[in-house]
Amino acid sequence: MKNVTRIILLTGLLLLLFSGLTFATGQEEERALNVSLSGNPDTLDPQKTSGTLTFQVLKSIYDTLVEPDENGKIVPALAESWDVSSDSLEWTFHLRKGVVFHNGDSFTSKDVKATFQRILSKDTASPKAKEFSAISEIDTPDDYTVIFKLKTVSAPFLASLASGWGAILPKSLIDSGHDFASKPVGTGPYSLVEWVRDSRVVLQKNPKYWIAGHPKIDKVIINIIPERSVAVQGMLSGQLDIAFRINKEDIPTLKKDPNIRIEKDLSALILVMSMNCSRPPLNDLRVRQAINYAIDKQKVLDIAYGGGKIVNTFMDYSNPYYKDFHFYSYNPDKARELLKEAGVGKDTEIQMFLPQNYEAHVKAGEMYQEMLTKVGLNVKIKLVDWSTWISDVYRQAKYDLTVIGHTGKLDPDGTLAGYGGPKRYVRWVNDECKSLIDQARVTIGFEKRKALYDKALEIMAREVPFMYLGSPYVYNAIRNDVVGFRVTPKLDTLDFRWTEFKK
Amino acid sequence: MKLFIFLVKRFLRLIITIFLVSTIIFFVIRVIPGDPAAVIAGIDATDEDIEAIRAKLGIDKPLALQYTEWLQRVAIFDFGKSMITDQPVTKLIMKRFPVTLTLAFFGILFGVIIAIPLGVISAVKRWSLWDYLGMAMSQLGMAIPSFWLGIILLLIFAVQFHLFPLFGFGGIKYYILPSLSLGFARAAVILRLTRASMVEELSKEYIVTAKAKGLTERMIKYKHALKNALLPVITVTGIQFGYMLGGAIIIEQVFSLPGLGRLFLTGIYQRDFTLIQGGVVFVAIIFSLINFAVDVMYSLLNPKIRIQ
Repeated sequence: MKNVTRIILLTGLLLLLFSGLTFATGQEEERALNVSLSGNPDTLDPQKTSGTLTFQVLKSIYDTLVEPDENGKIVPALAESWDVSSDSLEWTFHLRKGVVFHNGDSFTSKDVKATFQRILSKDTASPKAKEFSAISEIDTPDDYTVIFKLKTVSAPFLASLASGWGAILPKSLIDSGHDFASKPVGTGPYSLVEWVRDSRVVLQKNPKYWIAGHPKIDKVIINIIPERSVAVQGMLSGQLDIAFRINKEDIPTLKKDPNIRIEKDLSALILVMSMNCSRPPLNDLRVRQAINYAIDKQKVLDIAYGGGKIVNTFMDYSNPYYKDFHFYSYNPDKARELLKEAGVGKDTEIQMFLPQNYEAHVKAGEMYQEMLTKVGLNVKIKLVDWSTWISDVYRQAKYDLTVIGHTGKLDPDGTLAGYGGPKRYVRWVNDECKSLIDQARVTIGFEKRKALYDKALEIMAREVPFMYLGSPYVYNAIRNDVVGFRVTPKLDTLDFRWTEFKK
Repeated sequence: MKLFIFLVKRFLRLIITIFLVSTIIFFVIRVIPGDPAAVIAGIDATDEDIEAIRAKLGIDKPLALQYTEWLQRVAIFDFGKSMITDQPVTKLIMKRFPVTLTLAFFGILFGVIIAIPLGVISAVKRWSLWDYLGMAMSQLGMAIPSFWLGIILLLIFAVQFHLFPLFGFGGIKYYILPSLSLGFARAAVILRLTRASMVEELSKEYIVTAKAKGLTERMIKYKHALKNALLPVITVTGIQFGYMLGGAIIIEQVFSLPGLGRLFLTGIYQRDFTLIQGGVVFVAIIFSLINFAVDVMYSLLNPKIRIQ
């Protein structure tokens, strides 16, 4: 028996040593860009999900006809130029020549047509189909011209084409029923080498990419690292070049390393406390106003969200349609007064539902609860998981208050569509606001649309279906010898086309 | 013949277990709030979008119909496609299973290597230095959460000494630290059990008889007593192994390992009905197989327990 124990111990020890040694002697190859991402994409099919993680990865694999530039302005991509008919119902795109898919197919108008037929098909059941529902017909007079005929005027149409779900797929693979979910094929700057779910996505440079001389880096590895502290240590030990979206608390640790810089950005996310206006006591405007007066917004932004900028409207700060309103600044006395007037006190229980996997929203919710309690409200917190939140709270409006962030959109219609109507989860009905939003959707011209949205946003700010908190700062940690990493505005996707190692 | 009947009985029991477990899980995940179509559709979708997705996933059909259709497919081991990822459930599970199996195997191996020798010595030399060491270790093992141990191991061996990778996945070197952190907690339990079982065995009458017969101390302790003492240890180790095969979620998270635990956890978070159902059936099968293996080992180690 003693011998057996000895043998087992010895093998164990040897195994340990051996595994350590093999790792230490791993040879050097050409430097790949190592990036960390906190979660795994569900699928790599751009037409079958609404998940941000998917589009963050797919930005490197697919191109769209048009795309947002660094400032969010929509510029040519696979389409070199486009014209719009005078009635705005016909959009003609002139396609770039000489573009090749990763599988070798040449990119032509047929691919564009097949792509949009696929997303609109019932069989695909794309969650993003409705963004293209205005399309009545797609014509391809020649290989490099596509004409979209629309049923109705659609101001957001161009923005939809520029979003991740406007990705162009090759017709030959669409026809053969290719598994795009795990083997995406596009025209993008990188092609997929392997995707080990929950571990890594490995991308290889597309040598025939249509922007000459780009991308610069041959290999990009997106490491899926759910544990925050591991990503931080990965940066410190040099195994990571970019840690995407780090927590503010980790910044001091990372700053100690002179080889790492922190890039700070104001996100396009609009943080809100949403109110169910169909349920008492929140159907009383005074109560909603009181809640707005009761919150010290900067404090919540700083403590729960790692800093940010107060925004009192449903448009993010960098949006050309942004206009702020200052109706309800922090004033707890005023809040108490309004609640007294409305006759709402401790005996009315208000339920606040928080999505438990979003740590920051939960923290914010707890702060809100405390601030609301101080002005005499009785708020009970209920934690729910994400599926429950989206099914019960968001879909069925089974809540009084909830805390969430609305992501930025390229077009204001993406943010505002449906509000003022009975279906949105705040259950706030305002015909004037709804008709303004509906009208803006079919109005062409920035100035005209802005006038309409200004009015709609003002009504929303005054009537408080949301208490707007603001937008948080987001932080990326980047090694000093890595330059040119971009994050697409509003869409928050990773853009490695301009990234390179500084010599 | 006896063996054959035993196997048939075991197999029938497996089928009944799977049937019950899958029926329960089928209805439970549909009763709790959360709709996979809403998860796929995300925040901006309209009700029509959701209906289209529900139709495509087949969850708009009556519950009874969904259930019978599912049973029919399970009968031929077709678990369908995962609702969220659009990939065959079997493929998703089989990709992850080797990771979890390796992790669980080394976890148990480390656990056993630490626990059994120390447990035996502790029992034989009670109240000695070895015994105190063993007790201290088992206290630590039970008190220290494995994710914390994992992070500490990473900080020491991956960050300080660069002996092991910090994240990623590939060869055996990616499994050592997670298995150690997993095995340490298991060791605590196995050690306690080995010691208790051995102490009990040593106080039995046959030991006295053996002594009276004039057998050497060594022979008595390590041949007679140990063999009997190990029986409960094997059961517990087997069951712990089974638990680990269901996936060590937290450890996989800390070490960014793509194991079953994270697959199932994401499935549950996203209400991926088909994936959860397939996963539960899979784990039930694994558990039954392990129980079977434990029984066989029992009879090999101790002829008193014959297969019945």
